Amino acid sequence: MKKTLVIAAALMAMVGSSALAQSIGVSIAKFDDNFLTVMRNGMTEHAATLNGVDLQVEDAADDLAKQIDQVKNFVASGVDAIIVNIVDTSAGAAITEAAGNVPLVFVNREPDNVDSLPATQAFVASNEIESGTLEAFQICRNLRAAGKAGGATGYLMNGQLSNQAAVQRSKDVHDVIGMDMCKFMKLIDEQTANWSRDEAQDLMTNWMASGEPFDFVIANNDEMAIGAIQAMKAAGVDMKAVEVGGVDATQDALVAMQAGELDVTVFQDANGQGKGSVDTALALVAGKKVDRKVYIPFKLVTPENVQDFLSKN
Amino acid sequence: MADTSHGTGGLTFDKSKRSWPNELNILLALIIIVAIFEILGQVLPYMRGQSFLFDSAGRFDSIFNEARLQIIILQVAIIGIIALGVTQVIITAGIDLSSGPLVAATAMIAMSFAQTELVNGNPNPKAIFGLWAMDLPVIVPIIVGLSFGAFIGAINGTFVAFFRIPPFIATLGMFLICRGIALWWSQGRPISFPTESYKFIGSGMMPVVWFLSLAVLFQLILKYTVYGKHTYAIGSNEEAARMSGINVKRHKVLVYMIASTLAAFAGIVLSAKGATAQAGMGEFYELFAIAMAVIGGISLTGGRGSVIGTVLGAMVIGVIRSGFTYIKLDGSYQLMAMGGIIIAAVVLDQYRQRNRA
Repeated sequence: MKKTLVIAAALMAMVGSSALAQSIGVSIAKFDDNFLTVMRNGMTEHAATLNGVDLQVEDAADDLAKQIDQVKNFVASGVDAIIVNIVDTSAGAAITEAAGNVPLVFVNREPDNVDSLPATQAFVASNEIESGTLEAFQICRNLRAAGKAGGATGYLMNGQLSNQAAVQRSKDVHDVIGMDMCKFMKLIDEQTANWSRDEAQDLMTNWMASGEPFDFVIANNDEMAIGAIQAMKAAGVDMKAVEVGGVDATQDALVAMQAGELDVTVFQDANGQGKGSVDTALALVAGKKVDRKVYIPFKLVTPENVQDFLSKN
Repeated sequence: MADTSHGTGGLTFDKSKRSWPNELNILLALIIIVAIFEILGQVLPYMRGQSFLFDSAGRFDSIFNEARLQIIILQVAIIGIIALGVTQVIITAGIDLSSGPLVAATAMIAMSFAQTELVNGNPNPKAIFGLWAMDLPVIVPIIVGLSFGAFIGAINGTFVAFFRIPPFIATLGMFLICRGIALWWSQGRPISFPTESYKFIGSGMMPVVWFLSLAVLFQLILKYTVYGKHTYAIGSNEEAARMSGINVKRHKVLVYMIASTLAAFAGIVLSAKGATAQAGMGEFYELFAIAMAVIGGISLTGGRGSVIGTVLGAMVIGVIRSGFTYIKLDGSYQLMAMGGIIIAAVVLDQYRQRNRA
């Protein structure tokens, strides 16, 4: 019964696509997330510039069952394509099945079935492996430019230990430090500060209490980098002498960068992911061949180009 | 067992039993823990003979590593402020689980009234309200924040005292409500860029100044005022307290209000310290505040303990946290060890209580 419904809906969808306007149903994991909101706005703004593309954006409110229902409703109402920012990355198969033959794009969050997606489906996001690599490599270059290629020591602040992004970013930092060009960098210690500015302040102050000289602090996100900066400033450390890196390019971080305190951060292009998901959906509808994984690049932010990012996230 | 010195509700008034106050035990434990870290610093090969508490590199004028002494107390000062309140709640045989999320909710609300109009010459990118709420005098966010805390505390207290909801349940409900308020206030967006005067509340060692002065204040209040005597009386034997004419219900509401106002103040100090307010702040703060009180010898069955004990309990947690980072122990082991120490503290305390009775 359900299958016939899905097939009927898929047929309707095919009929629908012959009409002039392209309609895309979008289900976002949660509307009240800052990053996802920028991404969502990127979709709607981009769609508005395209002729005859109609977006219907819905909030799954962090409820997987609700999200699956939304996808089924999209199918039933005959949309041309569906974009899903999945609530639970381990439920990819359920969403894939609910979409049936309707072109489907997963955005931002990687579903667990990403390697077995059918030809009508794709995944659009940034490749997490880039962020930690870009960050650590720029710190390495800055240290070299500062004439510390003979040896530099520093600290690594991890995000939540259970978080995939945190684990990946820290691993990337280790990989960069393992490269020939950056082998002169040595980690004194690495600890978690749970993504939090407050915990990072305490952790940095604890580290500084040991009195060991250090040249850099690499944090898995900007909040922890800012916490480390606040602690160093309170202890009278010259921020010009220390390289500090974060990830996210949050407003707070960009302001710290303008003040000459934060040296490196990495911008995850929320707007670009939104835009990319719409383009990928349209390409699938048009029957073009699309890569299963479409990556929107991370962007390195340094004091030279910080101005370009001030209005972005 | 031949002891005949039981007072009402198990309070003993035998002078000879009070010669070795509980607080001294905690102080002793504190010294032992410091000694353990000091020894580990000498024994562990990768520590290169660093000292935990003493100045081993000649960086300070004193014999102590001043930076270490500061961070030990600074990192527990804000949770310590909460612990001062939860101590009083626990003395009445209650519990307050809502304080962590209340810290977050208060931080969000107070920070919205503490923002500056211009950041580096640009309009504040995190502005919550319009221009009317920019660069307000620092007293405005403080009053708004503390009033919010008092309001939440009044609700907690009312449900506990008048509706007879178990404190665990009433404050667990409030735990969820406050986290919800924190998330709803700005739809999950962080609030940043406060005025300089607001930042001052949490700058440098200010959190420690607040914590210790409030600790002295409440130690005196609990020891020498009617409020304090009633608080202990209710915790020892609520029925007896009622019989002796104490307005138990009204007093309980007051205790919960004071606890939540202190937690709200902790939220203000925390947001001032980091110059930001975020909905996820204060995670596990309620549990660490309770742990400080429990390590400090406050009995969960009520009627026993002191603010001095809680301050020492806070110091124990501060020393352990700092010590774990000092010996470069991984975060996952830190959690396990911290849990073990909290349980051990209660086991020791109960053992001691049994021997005493």
